[in-house]
Amino acid sequence: MRKTFVALTAMALVGSAAMFVIGPRLAGAQGGGTVEVEVKYNGAPVVEKLKVNKDTEKCGTETTIEKVVVGSNKGLANVVASAPNAKGGPAAKKVVVDQHGCKFVPHVTVMAPGELELKNSDDILHNIHTYSTANPAINKAQPKFKKTMTEKFEKPEVIKLTCDVHSWMLGWVAVVPGIGAVTDTNGVAKLENVPAGKQKIEVWHETLGKQDKEVDVKAGQTTKVSFEMKGK
Amino acid sequence: MAGIRIVAALLLLAGAAPAFAQDANAGKAVYERKCLLCHGEKGDGKGASAELLVPKPRDFTKGLYKIRSTANKTPSDQDLFRIITDGMPGTSMPSWAVLPDKDRHNLVAYLKTFAPEAFKEAPKKLELPKEVASSEASIKRGKEMFEAIECHKCHGTEGRGDGPSRPELKDEWGQPIAPANLTKRWNFRGGRSRTEIATRLANGVLGTPMPAFLEAVEKPEDIWHLTNYIVSLGPDSPQPATLVTVAAVREAIPDDPGAAFWNKLAPNNILLEGQVIVDPRNFNPSIDLVGVRAVYNDKEIAFHLTWDDPAENKGDGKATFPDAISLQFAPQQPTGTERPYFLMGDATDGVYLLRWEQGKGVMEVSAHGPTKLAPIQGGEAAGKAVFKNGQYTLVMKRALAATGIERPSFRPGVFTPVAFQAWDGGAGETGPRMSLTSWYYLRLEEPQSNRRFFIPPAVALLTFAVLGLIVRAARSRAIQ
Repeated sequence: MRKTFVALTAMALVGSAAMFVIGPRLAGAQGGGTVEVEVKYNGAPVVEKLKVNKDTEKCGTETTIEKVVVGSNKGLANVVASAPNAKGGPAAKKVVVDQHGCKFVPHVTVMAPGELELKNSDDILHNIHTYSTANPAINKAQPKFKKTMTEKFEKPEVIKLTCDVHSWMLGWVAVVPGIGAVTDTNGVAKLENVPAGKQKIEVWHETLGKQDKEVDVKAGQTTKVSFEMKGK
Repeated sequence: MAGIRIVAALLLLAGAAPAFAQDANAGKAVYERKCLLCHGEKGDGKGASAELLVPKPRDFTKGLYKIRSTANKTPSDQDLFRIITDGMPGTSMPSWAVLPDKDRHNLVAYLKTFAPEAFKEAPKKLELPKEVASSEASIKRGKEMFEAIECHKCHGTEGRGDGPSRPELKDEWGQPIAPANLTKRWNFRGGRSRTEIATRLANGVLGTPMPAFLEAVEKPEDIWHLTNYIVSLGPDSPQPATLVTVAAVREAIPDDPGAAFWNKLAPNNILLEGQVIVDPRNFNPSIDLVGVRAVYNDKEIAFHLTWDDPAENKGDGKATFPDAISLQFAPQQPTGTERPYFLMGDATDGVYLLRWEQGKGVMEVSAHGPTKLAPIQGGEAAGKAVFKNGQYTLVMKRALAATGIERPSFRPGVFTPVAFQAWDGGAGETGPRMSLTSWYYLRLEEPQSNRRFFIPPAVALLTFAVLGLIVRAARSRAIQ
């Protein structure tokens, strides 16, 4: 008991000290630079089709599992791009993942540590079953009359979302301590207000893995950084 | 008094202090003797026999426990102690009540050392909503909720574990997992009591697809309405039969297993086990119970069988096979205690089977072992099977008397050896991979005549008359 208290107090002290030190710098970082992350993929898209045998009025009779989505110019979509060490990103806004058409929409979500709203707009039973290590894993039923649920994810990691009722449903939530975004079908994600200076930029894809690079961010300017992911 | 209170308060405050002294090192010694073969030396569930078991032995290294009475992921010491003590019904985990209490407490301590991280957070007791006693209204509300929250997606419309999501379900270790058959409460992993059922509903079963419903029902007390409904779905225990009585009837026997005729008879519940004597063995049999109703009239004998099977299967011949069931008899009524080998006979002494197979119907078969089946020429058995909501019902009929050395005749009043075999083709069961029983007995009731309505009253009247005479005689003697 006492140890925990001491540890908590110490953490709080260190935390506030850190805030005090970092605080002025944050103010200085206002109007930091933009990092435009571009991710290319050298292979073909991987899309699996699956016949649906239940809830067809909501889920359709066929569903697609989009493992690797490649857009124009070989841009790779659904990649989490982040500057994990960039403090002072925009204030965390409420992030929503919807269960719609028996899919998690969006397929990949970025959030700051905090609350995630889980919507069920399908009017049928889903269950939110998460796979995580740092955050407590949950498996909660969300029947048709429970339109929204709020869950807390405080620790940075990528969390897998599944639904056991509809085994093809798959989603990812990246809890990013710094600044993060998801690439569009052009393979581009913009990280805004990244403090000037050297920053580590990380990219993560559900099947293709992780890469990182260091970039020099200049205030008021857009810095481009590109990655290439290879098919296995 | 005050001293005791203070001590009690101190004990409460020191929440981390176990209620019993626990010694993880002593627990390790017990673990290595009793648990290691299934759960593995490292506690990762990869013991030597793990391969044969479904569900797989628990992997303790994740610290993820299915059955817990807590609101968070950490099970209480008592939760672990109870599972060790009582075992897990429907799995290979036996009760270890034979071990001294101390050994079991020490085991709890040792199990926790496999995943110290998981036990850093103290267990938080789950507060269940206020209990609602079972009543017709509560069961009705429970059924409404069962449908509204779509329990049937996994557990099936009538709760037999046959829902549309069943084939897709996997646990967090990637192993296929079957939803519970809610009509067989005695197989519930975490116990069959109302509190245990309500707890599973409220906080789910960790590591499995079963989610927590406490926040997902309309009102908290719905957890109890659901519990009362689930309890209403089946008996508390299988109430196994020891003898199959074949009732004598005068009327014609219907072919249709759904006919009201059959509801008048109580089923004899026969428990089946996996066949583990010859290869390929069946360590995880799918069919564990067959309800048998049997009748005969002056011409025919008929068997009405009821058994649960999650899916109707004709089989693809590779991974799945046709569902089947058979009743086994000696080819001729044995005169002594000598009977053919119960496992479908052997090369010298065959058995007679009254067998139904999906796609083929009812047949009379002669067998000389589980792989040597031959249809009997001139067989005349008939019948009909119906599959609905995860359950087969079947009627098999045959003439009472039979000709030929391979076919038995049935006579009233005789104890006739009978055995049962069943195959769930959807679970890959075929040939020796089956569930079965050893020899049971069946007995055809003596045919009843109308005399029973006349003789007992006549005897009663006569007795009273004699008594009356004696009393009169005694009185007249007393007066003299």
